[in-house]
Amino acid sequence: MAKAEDTVRKSIRSLLKRRKADVEFGDDADLYEDLGMDSLEVAELSATLEDDLGHDPYSDGQAPRTVAEVLEYYDR
Amino acid sequence: MVPSSAAVPALSPAQLVARAAAEAPDESALLVAGASVGWAELHDRCSQIAGGLVARGIQRFASTVADPQRRIELLIAASAAGVEACGYASGLGVDEVDSLRARFDHETIITDQSGAGVVGVDELLDADPVEPVGEGLAPLLVLTTGTTGLPKGARHDWRRLVANSSRWTSESDSRWLLTYNLNQFAGIQVLLHALCSRATLVVPENNQPRAALAAAVAGGVTHASATPTFWRFLLALIEDDTPVPPLRQITLGGEAVPADLVAKLAARFPDARTSQVYASTEFGTAASTTDTAAGLPLSVLERSDDAVVQFKIVDGELFARSSAGMLGYYGDDGDGVAEWSPTGDLVEIRGDRIHFTGRSVEIINVGGVKIHPLVVEERALAVDDVQFAHAYGRSNPIAGQIVTLDVVVGRDLSDDEEEEIEDKIRDSCSSLPDAAQPRRIRFVPELDVRENKVRRGGSK
Repeated sequence: MAKAEDTVRKSIRSLLKRRKADVEFGDDADLYEDLGMDSLEVAELSATLEDDLGHDPYSDGQAPRTVAEVLEYYDR
Repeated sequence: MVPSSAAVPALSPAQLVARAAAEAPDESALLVAGASVGWAELHDRCSQIAGGLVARGIQRFASTVADPQRRIELLIAASAAGVEACGYASGLGVDEVDSLRARFDHETIITDQSGAGVVGVDELLDADPVEPVGEGLAPLLVLTTGTTGLPKGARHDWRRLVANSSRWTSESDSRWLLTYNLNQFAGIQVLLHALCSRATLVVPENNQPRAALAAAVAGGVTHASATPTFWRFLLALIEDDTPVPPLRQITLGGEAVPADLVAKLAARFPDARTSQVYASTEFGTAASTTDTAAGLPLSVLERSDDAVVQFKIVDGELFARSSAGMLGYYGDDGDGVAEWSPTGDLVEIRGDRIHFTGRSVEIINVGGVKIHPLVVEERALAVDDVQFAHAYGRSNPIAGQIVTLDVVVGRDLSDDEEEEIEDKIRDSCSSLPDAAQPRRIRFVPELDVRENKVRRGGSK
């Protein structure tokens, strides 16, 4: 779980950094409302998580809104 | 929406607006970020802009106007003056614009603000208004990704498009949501549906699903046409207590439609009818089905000779011919798609359905935006360290496909060096549209090569 946590946060941070929106965020941050992610960034996140962790919530038919909900997926 | 068998006069968009201004001057033509623009007001402004085009002797132009209301007015005005409009994507870099101008011989660029060498759309408002030209070719140029990676221009006649759109009209109290860009054929198609039905077109602040949902709720949207990627994103934004628009009609197009999405939309919008549209910039709207199965029904192969669009399958590829499609490509003397032409879609018959199995050329479809791999590969190869590059589509649950790039640098790299080269590649690609950005970059020892050609084919 620690590896998943790190990977999730690192991947999101990397996307934000690329957009020069390098912000600190908590687990309750909403990917869309708070972090301003668009569909292509979320698509990239799903691919990154799939590559690094072997599976991701989106490919599993889920639609997490917050960082916590993404982390929760890997806590199962 | 009901297909009408009545003969429809071949009007231009400007004539449709003029008619609406006479019949219902104060009814809402557009709802832009909540503000209503009546038909009479729209007609007046388009007539002035048309006057501005005529006064300046402009015969054809490219538009980089970002403001959606102005973009719509400019398209309508062009049809009033019989001038060929062409929309460039907004947000393009100077180099991209220059390259398109050279390719399509666009001397005149119309943009939001006046400037050196460009015409500001507002400055066109200072002329005397002109009434719409009554007949004759009303030209439109719509850019599309070509099979070799270079963009192509599909030449259309507004009147043919209007005649075809008029076969499906909705009630005049319907409210259409615009989700597509107006430089794309799909956006123009939605505009025409609204004009032909004398319905209100609801234009969001930007084309992200969040803004679209807000505009749709505020505007009481009843009809919406968008890509599966867009619909999926919209559904993800809606929770049980989120206000939703009173949708009666949901249309999906531009990408393959996943079966589960149709079911989810039906669950969220139980009063809406769902249609799937098969269309392209070249053929226009070729087929529309209200069944919820994937692909097309076999019956499309049996349409009579007086149907607007006919289909056949040749060597596993879907061919079509249309009397309402493009007149031809820019710079080409051909007959457009009036004779049998390849659609580029590979198909397979299973039972009573025609299923889509891939593309004949490896176009990557990112949320409805078509990206040619060569365009991305060329940018990657511009980075010194990169020896070979292969861009391809990778299936994605959110965007349909995302652009993935395999690169060969010919030596071992540390993690830091990999990151540095990745950054350089992304930088090199940064002036390409968002959809073309490589979302995953992999360093590989060699590309999958057969017969000295990089192996291509389908989505991975």
